Amino acid sequence: MEPGAKVVTVMQGELSVSGDPTVVMSCILGSCVATCLYDPSARVGGMNHILLPGRRGEAVAHNKFGVFAMETLINELMHIGARKPKLVAKIFGGASTFDNGLAIGAANAAFVRDFLETESIPIAAESIGGRQARRVRFFPESGHAKQLLTAEAVPAEELRPQKPARDRRPAVPPGGSGEVELF
Amino acid sequence: MTLKVLAIDDSRTMRDLLQVSLTESGFDITLAEDGIDGLDKLETAEPDVVITDINMPRLDGFGVIEAVRARADHRATPILVLTTESSPEMKSRARTAGATGWIVKPFDDVALASAIHRVTA
Repeated sequence: MEPGAKVVTVMQGELSVSGDPTVVMSCILGSCVATCLYDPSARVGGMNHILLPGRRGEAVAHNKFGVFAMETLINELMHIGARKPKLVAKIFGGASTFDNGLAIGAANAAFVRDFLETESIPIAAESIGGRQARRVRFFPESGHAKQLLTAEAVPAEELRPQKPARDRRPAVPPGGSGEVELF
Repeated sequence: MTLKVLAIDDSRTMRDLLQVSLTESGFDITLAEDGIDGLDKLETAEPDVVITDINMPRLDGFGVIEAVRARADHRATPILVLTTESSPEMKSRARTAGATGWIVKPFDDVALASAIHRVTA
């Protein structure tokens, strides 16, 4: 790891955004998918880390959980100066790590690809599928990403979620989702 | 009578979601892809309710609320904000501008339909 780097671990269900050149976002992925988005002009970027509850083959428009995770990431990036038409994506994960016949990883990856295509966000790089887990590092200010395929098939973090730390937040706001407030 | 809804959101995914949800709930829906497009469609759509996102290019949700309220024939048209945002500051700003309600995404089909019926009752 680079000296002086501030490592932000993005756990399943979380996201993080930053324009700090010393920040490195990190996650370990099995069947989950991480989408890294960055605006090369504004020099800001962010990462989310999702595992969809939906079934394979469900239309993007029906997968509200995934849509919400993506839209929240985009909105957080816009808050720190990104412009949506400038966003570029790098996507990772979606491995078939559990040998249970369910193509969860493939479904996660298909959802993210469909979403990005629908929103006209180009995919600059991707590493999707396979059977190995991945460790991904993303440098939000430059948009650079590095990945390491790990020997273990299932990342321990995917089995035992850890407590969240600062600089990252749950993808669902504390107020609860779907909350309706009439003024 | 079928209620007419003008839904403004810059995300195509979100417009697709709203189209499916509101059509299934029995509303007549017109979609617009940003604030300017929404205001352009206001006259022809003649909505009973306007639903708007906040973060949008060209004209954001706050601009939409102010512009709709500035039109004499839409001074009382209910405006629901539908957004991933939930900060009290943004809610308060929307309320001051003339919004009728605030719904946090991801929305629930039934809760959204019920909110539309409540503000148009």
